[in-house]
Amino acid sequence: MREFDLLEPATVAEASRMLAALGDDARFFAGGTALMLGMRQRMLAPTHLVSLAGIEAMRGITFDAVQGLRIGALARHADVAASPLVRRHFPVLASMAARVANPQVRNQGTVGGNLCYGDPSTDPPGCLLALDARVVLGSARGERELPLEAFLVDFFQTALEPDELLVEIRVPPMATGSAGVYTRFLRTAAEHRPLASVALVARRDGLLCREARIAVGASTPVATRVRRAEAFLEGRSMNADAVREAAAIVAADIDPVADARGDGAFRRRMVQVVAGRTIAELFGIDIDMEDTEGARA
Amino acid sequence: MSEHHIECIVNGEAVSVQRVPARRLLSDFLRDDLHLTGTKRGCETGICGACSVRVDGEVVKSCLMLAVQVRGRAVQTVEGLAQGDQLHPLQDSFMQCGGLQCGYCTPGFLMAACAMLETDPNPSAEAVRHGLNGNLCRCTGYTQIVESVLDAAEKMRHGN
Repeated sequence: MREFDLLEPATVAEASRMLAALGDDARFFAGGTALMLGMRQRMLAPTHLVSLAGIEAMRGITFDAVQGLRIGALARHADVAASPLVRRHFPVLASMAARVANPQVRNQGTVGGNLCYGDPSTDPPGCLLALDARVVLGSARGERELPLEAFLVDFFQTALEPDELLVEIRVPPMATGSAGVYTRFLRTAAEHRPLASVALVARRDGLLCREARIAVGASTPVATRVRRAEAFLEGRSMNADAVREAAAIVAADIDPVADARGDGAFRRRMVQVVAGRTIAELFGIDIDMEDTEGARA
Repeated sequence: MSEHHIECIVNGEAVSVQRVPARRLLSDFLRDDLHLTGTKRGCETGICGACSVRVDGEVVKSCLMLAVQVRGRAVQTVEGLAQGDQLHPLQDSFMQCGGLQCGYCTPGFLMAACAMLETDPNPSAEAVRHGLNGNLCRCTGYTQIVESVLDAAEKMRHGN
């Protein structure tokens, strides 16, 4: 790892000015789990790291019945998984956070860092999309708030301006009757990064789906909501056939990535299986997705 | 290149080191500056977990952490497990149950298991496997590692 200077601002404005002055020679440093890897592999060689550890305004997890959940960008995956507020009001988010990577990385990596890195092969982006999360971006110029969907632009690309940092994540309260399920698929139990993931948050009356947000992660260049599947689900009385049909729409509408872990066709089929399991679980429908036509590898 | 004064607690003792370069990894700080070579450098890319140590009680990978990140915090390495000549129950169980062969991954497994048993003193075998999924062992096939941790958990619950 090449030499660098460590800078330690105490406020968002100070950090923003440092990054604006140093440009591409500097990187923000939160938990460091992704950044250290990039630097050790010499994919990144910043001359300055701007540590965010001293910015108190970016810490903490709070909940308000009207505003919903506020997650400081420096909250670690372990903090989200263990937070009584998250566990009570957003159990799907706590359950997702408890599965990220491994215990060590959950104790080191931050939710903000995860979103800013823009790596699709991770768990938080898809789950937060299904929860309709928004992000607050701060700089010396002030703050702006964006839907997470607008923040996640493309493969390793976000809407951050060169002087901006992600300050907090906001999740609106779940409506009465809402529930969420997050499912991830790994090729082997030893993998730390999902190959495919599907998150579903739906408001329902028994088997009647009133409202749905469904997002695919890890198998697409950027976590993606599948609007046609949401429209299919909304207003529908769910049964095993409807689950299969919805899963087929999810699989058909994504633009899958292809890499050493799986080609596009394999990923599309795994997304279909995972989507079916996710939808079936949320509505309490017993279904074997591996029997679904087209889902056989 | 900036240099930093690191003051922290390591295995219960206050440590103060001047002029530590910003790029010094925690794993290198422990091994090369403090000569605590129980912590192993394995893959050095955050995969194998051989470098696992505890910071403020939580298990972390010290190859993914800068030394400056432990200023003002308490670090525990495998050297801090035994009380004098009295091995920690986990160390004893790894010996009794054959939880190691070459031993290179063992310090990392011990630290991860130690942190896990503090939050879950009575884990199932499945929970042990899940709790240790940040650590790799290429010798044992894991079965005896899981048995070692379950054995130690039982001893610790009975106040040994």
